[in-house]
Amino acid sequence: MSSVATAPSPLSRLLSFWPIVTLVALATSTFLLLLPVYNIVGLSFSGQEGGAGIFENYIMFFSEPYYYRSLINSFIVSISAMVLALLIGVPAAYIVSRYDIVGRSLIKTAVVLTFVSPPFIGSYSWVVLLGRKGVLSQMFADVGISLPSIYGAPGIIFVFTLQFFPFVFLLVSSGLKSIDQSVEDAARNLGSGEGRTFFTVIAPLLLPSITTGALLVFIASFTDLGTPIILGERFRVLPVLIYGEFVNDFGGRPVLASTLAVLLLIVTTGALLLQRRLAARFSYATSAIRPLTLQSPGPLKRFLASVFIYGLVLLALLPMINIVISAFLKSNGPVLVAKFTLANFDKVWRMADGPLLNTVMFTTIATAMCAIMGTMIAYIIARRSGRISALLDTVVMFSYAVPGIVLGVGLVVTYHNPPLALTGTPLILILAYFIRRLPFSVRSSVSSLQQLSRDTEEASINLGAGPGRTFLKITVPLLSMAILSGALLTWSNTIRELSATLVLQSGSTTTISVEIFNEVANGNFGTASALGMTLIVLTFLPLLLLFTFLGKNEEALV
Amino acid sequence: MPAIKLDQVSRAYGKQVYAVRDLTLEIPDGSFTTLLGPSGCGKTTTLRMIAGLDMPTKGTIRIGDKLAFSLEEGKSLAPAKRGLGLVFQSYALWPHLTVAKNISFGLEVQKVPRAEATRRIEQVATALQIDGLLGRYTSELSGGQQQRVAIARVLVMQPSVLLLDEPLSNLDATLRMDMRAELKRLHQETGATIIYVTHDQLEALTMSTHIALMQSGRLQQFAPPLEVYAHPANQFAADFLGNPRINLLEGSVERGHFKCAGLDLALPDTVSPADTPTATLGLRAEELRLHGASGPGLAEARVTTLLPTGSDWYYNVELAGKSLIVRQNDGPQLRLGETVHVEARPESIKLFAGDGRALLAAPTVPMGS
Repeated sequence: MSSVATAPSPLSRLLSFWPIVTLVALATSTFLLLLPVYNIVGLSFSGQEGGAGIFENYIMFFSEPYYYRSLINSFIVSISAMVLALLIGVPAAYIVSRYDIVGRSLIKTAVVLTFVSPPFIGSYSWVVLLGRKGVLSQMFADVGISLPSIYGAPGIIFVFTLQFFPFVFLLVSSGLKSIDQSVEDAARNLGSGEGRTFFTVIAPLLLPSITTGALLVFIASFTDLGTPIILGERFRVLPVLIYGEFVNDFGGRPVLASTLAVLLLIVTTGALLLQRRLAARFSYATSAIRPLTLQSPGPLKRFLASVFIYGLVLLALLPMINIVISAFLKSNGPVLVAKFTLANFDKVWRMADGPLLNTVMFTTIATAMCAIMGTMIAYIIARRSGRISALLDTVVMFSYAVPGIVLGVGLVVTYHNPPLALTGTPLILILAYFIRRLPFSVRSSVSSLQQLSRDTEEASINLGAGPGRTFLKITVPLLSMAILSGALLTWSNTIRELSATLVLQSGSTTTISVEIFNEVANGNFGTASALGMTLIVLTFLPLLLLFTFLGKNEEALV
Repeated sequence: MPAIKLDQVSRAYGKQVYAVRDLTLEIPDGSFTTLLGPSGCGKTTTLRMIAGLDMPTKGTIRIGDKLAFSLEEGKSLAPAKRGLGLVFQSYALWPHLTVAKNISFGLEVQKVPRAEATRRIEQVATALQIDGLLGRYTSELSGGQQQRVAIARVLVMQPSVLLLDEPLSNLDATLRMDMRAELKRLHQETGATIIYVTHDQLEALTMSTHIALMQSGRLQQFAPPLEVYAHPANQFAADFLGNPRINLLEGSVERGHFKCAGLDLALPDTVSPADTPTATLGLRAEELRLHGASGPGLAEARVTTLLPTGSDWYYNVELAGKSLIVRQNDGPQLRLGETVHVEARPESIKLFAGDGRALLAAPTVPMGS
């Protein structure tokens, strides 16, 4: 080559591979995330009748007890669930990670199973067990014991705690793995007992895991819609109110629903920012050369630990055991009869080409989109640092802060009317799933990319391959395992989505989760159980693949 | 074959931090030039800028008659069009491809016909003695074999310039010795210009035709290895090259004598540096002689440590409260605590000014800044 190649002009630089991907990613997240959020914020500040001005809706919210109580209620259940999840999750993780009690890996699997089972299934299962005509309530009533009601705040807190303590359990378990045995040995050698060592040495090192777990429990509890609808009755939390207002306004402008959604969004965003700050503040760079070893506790300690951990696992698994049994029992409306039947599954077969097909199809398409787009965005964030890449990172991570119900309302507000009348179409559901789960795919690929040396890509560039070819031939094959495990996680998370789906579905695009919800609402517990069991199997299958063939462990879930 | 010219090249991060600063260097065609320096001196950054993987923030880079980079003219030649083959410190082999596929990657990009490609792969594989490994995956290879594959992968492209970034640092000591000889042979056989980055002064001394010594982003000296060793341009160059490290004594120059506490050394008549209150004397271990009897120009010292290596004897001697290391390969064996007399040969003395500049050594190759 004797000629001097000219530097690319600004235009042709823009038209090359990565800038185009960056542009597409920014446009996608703008239209699917920023615009919907912008629109509900806009609606929340629009006065209905004029008069009180732009803050009219907020003034109304904070002056009417019916409305502001819901915010207080949300805080009550979320903070209670968070505290209880810590009190259960931290000791449970410590026991399973440190003591050689029997069936440790089974316990972990059980925790994962409760964790991935759709929350609203657990709630209605508890109704079957502990409701007014519940199996356990009746049993105990027969012997003269009256069990506390599953309805209202205590029931919601109870179910949230059991449903979400795995956040703490899994994060603390993985935190314990990164502590070196020498840390404990040093403390014990200086005469510190086990309890003292835990509180003064181990627990401080676990603070990032503990705070992250706690805030994830808080956010999950704060934004959950299914459980409080099923168990709340007159005890209303914020998401329930949003859904109620949204259904009322349907067809009109969901002004009030938007106002409530903005309040919900403020709380979740605040919690996530707090989580980031705390995790950064408490993080110590530790790496375990020799991780903490298993101990053999004394007989009393072993007995107490076993009672606690087996009791907890049994309690957490009870709703699922109940579902599996109920799925095969004859039901007479809400009353289950002790007779074996397969009739409940008739409904499942009848749904095979309707909701069931919808669920699998929407989930699969959204997962594939997440895998492709997520990997490319991860590449831009990890490899092409700069202002635009940082912006993209922030925008994508913002999606993490937007609760399903808020995204649902936002998408309806934005895409209800022509020219882009997408509500009720399969597309809007797929897009909603895609944007909700995008941050997970991005995170998983970013962390793999950070472990992959840049040299491998530069070697390809040096040998004359362009950026697109390098990405496809070198980066993607090397990341394939990470992409696959990210996709499996996305699939199992998306398939049980309820809150955004409730808002965005129409009759023809309904999914299994919505059908279960309807069956529960109509009191058809047998059918709901059969559907619920199907959904749990669909959720758990990819995770089984993940654990068995991709060598991932339970901690990959959080 | 191209010479590579860097003119006033800088690479800054932000406004304050410079990885490379005002580097002007002309790497001769067909040379084996080593960029040498401690970690963080800017040598790898320089290599990456030549390869086109990093962009200078100032200056011009020419490769032969091609303008590879110029800030003023807004030109930056794509890495692939520079005709340079880069071997990475980590080898950067692709674990999802076989050895053969790793080597043929660049040929496929260039759409080299299959028959021609096969011939070239076989040729380079034979030359590097990896022809039996072509069907394997890279994770099944030893470190030395991976190293050969990494070199084969760029050699098959027949680059006119080969860039090697610390290629031997991941190998064990024996293998490193073998590969040194092999790289030198490779240089002679291909006639390619080689730019080699290392922090190992011994590698630089044994392999290169030219050494570009860098520190804190700046070029310190550019000369053939023995020239840098014998006539370091400054105190840093004297200190960085040589094993054991050069003995440095701080003192002053007065009327042709170097003076420090307890020592008064007449400087050779051939040079007469101006008087200065702060100067540093440099004495290499192998250029000092130890004598039992005293004599004119000898300084009295006491043996404090004996360090035999089998072929040589290293002694730490205490001279006027300062410890010097001396290498002897003949003469009587000395005992601990024995009084000896140190002779510094006038022609080997190195003397540096307070700012580190060499006062005696006259650089014969005027290069760099």
